[in-house]
Amino acid sequence: MALWGMQVAKKWINEKHGGIKVGDKIYKVEIKYYDDQSNKEVVKSLVEKLAVQDGVKFMLAPYSSGLTLAAAPIAEKYGVLMNSHGGASDYIFEQGYYYVVQTLSPASKYQTGFLEMIKNIDPNAKKVAMVYEDTEFSRSVFKAAREYAEKNGFEIVFDKTYPKGVQDLSPLLNELKASNPDIIIGGGHFADGQLLASQLAELKINVKAISILVAPALPKFYDALGTKAEGISAPAQWETGVSYSPDAAKKLGVDYFGPTQEEFLQMFKEVSKSDELPSYHAAEAAAAVLSYAYAIEKAKSIKPEDVREVMNNVEFMTFFGMWKIDPDTGKQIGHDMVIIQWQGGEKKIIWPPEAANSEPYYPIPTWEEKEQGKLAKP
Amino acid sequence: MVFAENLISNLFYGALLGSIYGVATMGLSLIFGVLRIVNVGHGAFIMIGAFTAFWMFTLYSLPPVAVIPIALVFGLAIGFIAFQAVIRRLVDAPELSTLLATFGIGIFIEELAKLVWGADYVGFSWDIGTLYLGPITVSYSKILAFFCSVLVAALLYLWFTKTKLGNAIRAVVQDREGAVVCGINVNRIFALSFSIGIGLTVLSGVLVTLFVPVGINVYMGGDYTLKAFVISVLGGLDSPWGAFIAGFLFGLFENGSYAILGLIPGVEPFALTRFVAFAFLLIILLVKPTGLLGGGE
Repeated sequence: MALWGMQVAKKWINEKHGGIKVGDKIYKVEIKYYDDQSNKEVVKSLVEKLAVQDGVKFMLAPYSSGLTLAAAPIAEKYGVLMNSHGGASDYIFEQGYYYVVQTLSPASKYQTGFLEMIKNIDPNAKKVAMVYEDTEFSRSVFKAAREYAEKNGFEIVFDKTYPKGVQDLSPLLNELKASNPDIIIGGGHFADGQLLASQLAELKINVKAISILVAPALPKFYDALGTKAEGISAPAQWETGVSYSPDAAKKLGVDYFGPTQEEFLQMFKEVSKSDELPSYHAAEAAAAVLSYAYAIEKAKSIKPEDVREVMNNVEFMTFFGMWKIDPDTGKQIGHDMVIIQWQGGEKKIIWPPEAANSEPYYPIPTWEEKEQGKLAKP
Repeated sequence: MVFAENLISNLFYGALLGSIYGVATMGLSLIFGVLRIVNVGHGAFIMIGAFTAFWMFTLYSLPPVAVIPIALVFGLAIGFIAFQAVIRRLVDAPELSTLLATFGIGIFIEELAKLVWGADYVGFSWDIGTLYLGPITVSYSKILAFFCSVLVAALLYLWFTKTKLGNAIRAVVQDREGAVVCGINVNRIFALSFSIGIGLTVLSGVLVTLFVPVGINVYMGGDYTLKAFVISVLGGLDSPWGAFIAGFLFGLFENGSYAILGLIPGVEPFALTRFVAFAFLLIILLVKPTGLLGGGE
């Protein structure tokens, strides 16, 4: 999926954009890749091979936080730029690496957008319950959510974790119910996210809004839960239908670079030779390639150190969203996550307003209403 | 007052969950008891049961309760095939061989399932209403899961104690050579026990979906395998009833302790419930090293 995304970006740059222009020279993009077998040791030796034998200067990180963390010190050692498109953990960018930059939003942003949305649509909804998986990813997500909530006048009435591989959340949710929250944010990965939603339904815990990590962003979530999924939200790096466009960029006064969403979807079809829709994994990988091309043109140089220097100051938009990094850490600070909500059996983008294709449905229907067949359709 | 309400409802939830743990462990104990083989691939068979329930519901709208007998038959067949193909060569083989073989079977089943069904997390929604009982809110499907578990355990008990075949199996557990001397065809008993053990385990996968109908995935069995080992040790390894009672207690401790641990400020009660459940195991084993209902070996 990610590789297809990269190939689409390459195709766009070489064919539509006419290559990367550096002064009066034109460079064509070429992607060299190896199978890392999702193995840290293999990642390390392949990154070394790419840097030393293949002479690659601009690298795309492997998928996942763990593998990106393994690859980063080697890229740093050889002064090769490394762009993370699938490593969300904030921890990667707190190690002091200079040559490692990020294209997707860091883990710490996964639930703050949702709180921001609530603050905007209902300033009276103050009581937040947090219930999440006790793993590295969720802990960093909810640490940031807690800080954001406290700074913005929310009251955290419940803050508890559950272990990985749990079969029954009833005791925890029983306690949560007593805390009487207005909104619930929670989750971790796939199975526990489904379990959480299913058991909130079973215990009839009614709140005004629910946001769960990862699980609701996938169509299987609705297949599994049916109408119980109505109104449930989730953060996503990107969704088909987001409205980042050259016009939107013009309004913000920044450059737009790369294919439009329609072009991306069309080219994705050609490259993948399938009808499968691109997931955000393809979009973020394509955006990473585009960010290299854009920064190289701005730097008028293909030396990694020059491009890295320029990256500190660029701010532009692709179909994936904004791209801007924190100069000190390389962490992505420009890109916004979108928030999706299940509305009438469809996954709609409800936040931020500039990317949305539907209004947030708020407050969500109660579990009893959903049983009667009520949908969260505005 | 809040504490009392929490404790009552959590013990209730624990009892329901525990009954599922119990049935999900009985097959493991039965196989160990008769064949002295530890089935490391145990969880894969629970997964098969969960997917059976999922597909029967999705394709034919069959409620999980109606799938229970189907899963049992399906499981008996899988068990029989696995026995004839692999396990029968492993009776009296060194422990490492049996561990590797059952581990291999587990991986084989999981990967085969992934090839056929994909790696997604699936689920279904079978709503039959909710019971409100004082502080307790619980869906009827969970209560149904509980009663089915108890029924399965009771039927198995009757079969073991009242029928000739059941008695023969118990005889083999107690004394294999003695059983042979009495004219029992031990090889047939092995095949039968393994099939029943797997049948029970696949069946328990259906009960799992009755309890939690979501998060069904080809790798879901791992967590159950781990718990089933603990529970079967607690119950006395070779005793299916011990396993059922131990599962029940394990569920009670796991969920019940949540209310008590929640009173301690600054701790994550859910992370500690497992600690309490394992500490409980340790204490039982200190007092009775053969487990709750285990024979004195």
